[in-house]
Amino acid sequence: MTGIAAWKIGLATLFIGIIVGYLGQRSRFCTISGIRDFFLVRDAYRLKGLIGVFVGAVVGFALVNMLGGNLSDFKAGTWQFMPMLKDGLDVTPAILIPLSAVGAFFMAYFSVMAEGCPFRQHVMAGEGRLSGIIYLTGLLAGVVFFNVVVVPYLQLLTLRFPD
Amino acid sequence: MDQVGSPSEKPGRWKPSFKFKKPNFKLSGNMALITGVTMGLLAAVVQGYFGLQPPAGDGICAVSHPVNLINWFLNNIFNTDYTLHSIFVEVPVLTSVGFIIGSVIASVRNKEFKFRRGPVRDNVLAFILGFVIINVGLLWGSCPIRTAVLSAYGMYFAMLMMGMMILGVVAACLYIKWKVRRTR
Repeated sequence: MTGIAAWKIGLATLFIGIIVGYLGQRSRFCTISGIRDFFLVRDAYRLKGLIGVFVGAVVGFALVNMLGGNLSDFKAGTWQFMPMLKDGLDVTPAILIPLSAVGAFFMAYFSVMAEGCPFRQHVMAGEGRLSGIIYLTGLLAGVVFFNVVVVPYLQLLTLRFPD
Repeated sequence: MDQVGSPSEKPGRWKPSFKFKKPNFKLSGNMALITGVTMGLLAAVVQGYFGLQPPAGDGICAVSHPVNLINWFLNNIFNTDYTLHSIFVEVPVLTSVGFIIGSVIASVRNKEFKFRRGPVRDNVLAFILGFVIINVGLLWGSCPIRTAVLSAYGMYFAMLMMGMMILGVVAACLYIKWKVRRTR
């Protein structure tokens, strides 16, 4: 990848982050609170946001592919929806399925306790909320811990269960 | 765009004048839906036109992107070799920085920016939650937004993980309900 192409990606992510962060602050968008609010008080306002991501992405990928965008797994220039459906549940090594399931379950569980998904915490930090800023500090420390302590064990586990 | 004035108002002296409406970002009934749809569309656009792949459906993520950003800095400052997505080896991914900047702009513009306590009152608990959530989140490797985008790509694994997240939220809600009943 050339330097210019790499920076194009870097700047695109920054630009998209700013748009999404702005909209996220104005709408109080939160994926976890969306499910929580619907389950607890039958309020679907935020849940519509999560459904919107899914619908927007299905339509967006089909449209971008149709209009000449370069998307992996899509047949270029055709109307195509959800191309990976045909692949089935193809995960190797299989140990990743229960491991990821535990990860997804507890990420959601603890995000309810933190009153927001990781995206919402970024937005709250931007609003000047102390808990959001401290959460992001914890996230930073967590990444270092994951790299140093968890990753070697995961590598051992995937070597132990290669298929 | 509204057109103000018409030829019938002042014959002979009519000048076309145009009034531009500012986009309305006030909290309305469908603002979250609009935000969600925009996120989905942007994830597709950034992948299709800016080459943000592999992996697929990685346009927006509040778990893997901050991790890639932190690992990029660690690798470049301390010469470590922590995992990065191949497209983020040369430049850092700035989505999470953008989230914060966008939120600051929105809250300052709407006079909502103020340093104050957040929903988690205990600072130590907020730190621990951030620490734990990123560690369990990295076992799956995606935030709920990216999980929805991957589900839209047709990935069964992501749909399964979305189901697990819904279960996690339900379990937490049941725990909160039980705790409230117990303290009454």
